[in-house]
Amino acid sequence: MWNEIKNFIAGKSSKDVAKGRLHLVLAQDRTGLDGARLQEMRNEIAAVIAKYVPIDAEAVEIQIETRSRQTQLTVSSAITPRNA
Amino acid sequence: MGRAIVITSGKGGVGKTTTTANLGAALAQLGYSVVLVDADIGLRNLDVVMGLENRIVYHVVDAIRGKCTVQKALIKDRRMENLWLLPASQTDDKDAVTPDDMRSLIFELKAMHDFVLIDCPAGIEQGFKNAIAGADEAIVVATPEVSSIRDADRVVGLLAAADVTARLIVNRISAHLVKRGDMLSQADVIEILALELLGAIPLDDQVIATTNKGVPAVLEGKSVAAREFISIAKKLAGHEVEDPQGVGFFTRIGRALGLSATPA
Repeated sequence: MWNEIKNFIAGKSSKDVAKGRLHLVLAQDRTGLDGARLQEMRNEIAAVIAKYVPIDAEAVEIQIETRSRQTQLTVSSAITPRNA
Repeated sequence: MGRAIVITSGKGGVGKTTTTANLGAALAQLGYSVVLVDADIGLRNLDVVMGLENRIVYHVVDAIRGKCTVQKALIKDRRMENLWLLPASQTDDKDAVTPDDMRSLIFELKAMHDFVLIDCPAGIEQGFKNAIAGADEAIVVATPEVSSIRDADRVVGLLAAADVTARLIVNRISAHLVKRGDMLSQADVIEILALELLGAIPLDDQVIATTNKGVPAVLEGKSVAAREFISIAKKLAGHEVEDPQGVGFFTRIGRALGLSATPA
């Protein structure tokens, strides 16, 4: 209990940091996609989205993450309102 | 026909050889006929961990090349019935044998013994491919650290591609660090690797002391690590054991230390 309170105050425990790092590094290992290729893909996806809806291409985020043996690719982008 | 189980990890220094020695000794104590194969050609170590280094005459490469019979290359562990070691060669390299050589060697050993435990070298290259060639199943050993788990994950992928079913042993877990939030728990490791858990070995000074003497910890009896190795051996052999998932980790460690079963 005391440990949990301490971790809450101090921020994440080192174990949680380790887990987060593993989720990311395993996603890269399992897909064989490194950071540079991932950014390349992000730019291409952003260009495709921009063909259909107005977006801020710089603000498009891409992430691969692994839970158990499932690896998920997430692309998120805010769409600029039409009459903004 | 016996079962061939490869003990592997990807990363070096996580306890493959110690695990092989202790599971072998524990299975032999349960009455099974067991042969331990050191597949780390060029960097043999299972002989010293077992304390049998002074009795080597022939080795695995001699047996494969027909310089001696497989029987003749086996060293009998005199401390118990039914335990043998097939040492690696120290002077050849990993390319001295092929996966096909290993497959037929392991097949021959399985015909004579209940269990053939293969101690895999670190890495995922030729030595790894040789070590898993004859195996029916695998035990992946990982310590609760980012580097070890990452390498274990690679190995799990390669084993799946080779159609070898893998189960997990988490080694050197410290209840006190897990409790403080400074070590991944066995549940965390299972979640990440998505493997069935065979057992979690507590970090135990006794293992260091018995390894210094060339005696597997299970032969010296009562340490917490030894008890866990024995329970894993029973599980491997299909004996009824208390389900580790059924009882909380701290409760089990507490019990092993002879403390009360009150959760923290």
